[in-house]
Amino acid sequence: MSEKEESPKKKSRREFLQDVGIVGVGSILAGSAIFAGINYDKKKKLGDRIKVLTAENELLEIDKNDATKVGKFKSQDLTFLQKQGREGIPGKRWVMVIDLSKCRNARKCMNACQGAHHLRPEQHHINVLKMQESKNTPPYYMPKPCQHCDNPPCVAVCPVDATFKRPDGIVLIDNERCIGCRFCIAACPYSARVFNWTEPLLNEDDKDKTYNVELNVPQRKGTVSKCLFSADRLRDGKLPYCVSACPNGVYYFGDENEDAVTNGTTKETVRLKKLLEENAGYRLMPELGTQPRVYYLPAKGKSYPFQDADKPEAEEHI
Amino acid sequence: MISTNKIYTTIVIAVFTVLLSFQSYSQNWDIPANKSSKNSYIPFNNETAKAGEAIYTKNCQSCHGNPGKANSLKTLKPVPPDLSEKQTQSRTDGDLFYIITTGRVVMPSFKIVLSEEERWKVIAFIRSYNKSYVQVLSKTDPSKSKLVKIVLDFNAKNNKIRVYAKANEASGVVLLKDAEIMLFANRYFGKLQIDKTLTTNSEGYADFNFPKDLPGDKTGNIDIVVNVNDELYGEIEHQEKLNIGIPTDKPALNEQRAIWNTLLKAPIWIIVTYTSLILLVTLVLLYILNTLRKLKKIGDK
Repeated sequence: MSEKEESPKKKSRREFLQDVGIVGVGSILAGSAIFAGINYDKKKKLGDRIKVLTAENELLEIDKNDATKVGKFKSQDLTFLQKQGREGIPGKRWVMVIDLSKCRNARKCMNACQGAHHLRPEQHHINVLKMQESKNTPPYYMPKPCQHCDNPPCVAVCPVDATFKRPDGIVLIDNERCIGCRFCIAACPYSARVFNWTEPLLNEDDKDKTYNVELNVPQRKGTVSKCLFSADRLRDGKLPYCVSACPNGVYYFGDENEDAVTNGTTKETVRLKKLLEENAGYRLMPELGTQPRVYYLPAKGKSYPFQDADKPEAEEHI
Repeated sequence: MISTNKIYTTIVIAVFTVLLSFQSYSQNWDIPANKSSKNSYIPFNNETAKAGEAIYTKNCQSCHGNPGKANSLKTLKPVPPDLSEKQTQSRTDGDLFYIITTGRVVMPSFKIVLSEEERWKVIAFIRSYNKSYVQVLSKTDPSKSKLVKIVLDFNAKNNKIRVYAKANEASGVVLLKDAEIMLFANRYFGKLQIDKTLTTNSEGYADFNFPKDLPGDKTGNIDIVVNVNDELYGEIEHQEKLNIGIPTDKPALNEQRAIWNTLLKAPIWIIVTYTSLILLVTLVLLYILNTLRKLKKIGDK
């Protein structure tokens, strides 16, 4: 009994001391925390606030300590853009199919292209030609972009490695390197390239823009420009400007490795091999061995009539 | 007597030709009966009609013009009808939905461009030009689509994918019968439809023929997307990765040695000829310099 009575007494003394210790340490910690908090707030007031521009174009003011760096805004960095432009998109082999039976010369592709690449009205990355092979064969409209050859004669003649072929098949021009010798224009059998003889359109607006080799904007006087298969759009998983602008379902675009091409108008995806096989697909000037990445489907069973006004121009080819 | 007879015959023939041409025109669409009777689960009111107008302006106006203004694109063949006219308004909602979905000749298909909801909203807009129209709502309950579970089963022997559609109702598992079902393989720019659009049988499944030569990624994986459309449960989408494609790992297109490639990837014969020529010229220069040095030495002596 006596032990039982004694033990709570002893415990209570120990407990008391323990409690004092806990309360003491606790109050010191709490005090320092409050002190730190006040200090932190003081620092804040000293003007450590920064202005941040969000992706939605909103200008916000936030505390510097609250901001975490997630990366550099990539599209502003020339070195990054140049490297990305040379590397392309791995594992892809872009391919375009143009269905001549659907083209009615709406020229929406050309407008979209010239708008995107800041071209003058007479400069064409893609051009809708009026064609006729012989007197007895019917005329037809033929959109003609760069053929992005697998054996490109233009790249072979470039003395400064300005024009190059990427792993994904796109032939691009780096205007940071181009010296304007125009050898490539002479070498191209498809007349796909244009030269900036004068100050390019919208040059004033583009002054502060970083050069993007995948868009070729800003254009530069004294350099060559041509179709880029909208390399910048492909990176975002979007179809090229011309392909998505077409109202008549003329263009198919896709990846040869996936054996699939998507129509720009209906967004319907079909198998490339089957499409070419069923419609007798062909390529331009195969005898040159340039191996184009653009395929054509013949103008069989045209949905739209050839305009009389365009006939003289088509007949020039005969 | 003869003249009146003649007049009668001409009238009869004229009426017949008009009727026949009308008949042949409407027959062109060839809409299946079960599609024709389909109804919208979206109520057609001012709000949906307004949403539909925005979609219409973007996708339809360039050919059909503004309803009631008769300003459709006359150069097309057949001429796109003014959609406020009787020719369109006399059709059922299901007909219009089918026409927008499949397209024909110069009318493009909106199966992929517009979702089912968007297509119904366009019809809501078209119907707003018909005062006497009364909507019949379908019994589809979109909120019930969450209950549906889709299971894929690939049979390597006959290269078939069996798709089961079941709904886990409180009262037990319900098999989805006669549900429209589509199978897609994901590609970079869109979905590639595999086989045809099928309907589930009485046991709640459908068998799709899968092509033997469809490329997958490096290991042969393909992202499969299943779209089920049931009258009661609405639209259900299911995604799954299956290892049923051809493993594809093609080399980059600028990997081979070619005359157009960069210095390191130039053809061997170019590198050899070029370097040996440079070497030869250097050696000749060195020889000449050496001879000159010797001559000077002799002169100094």
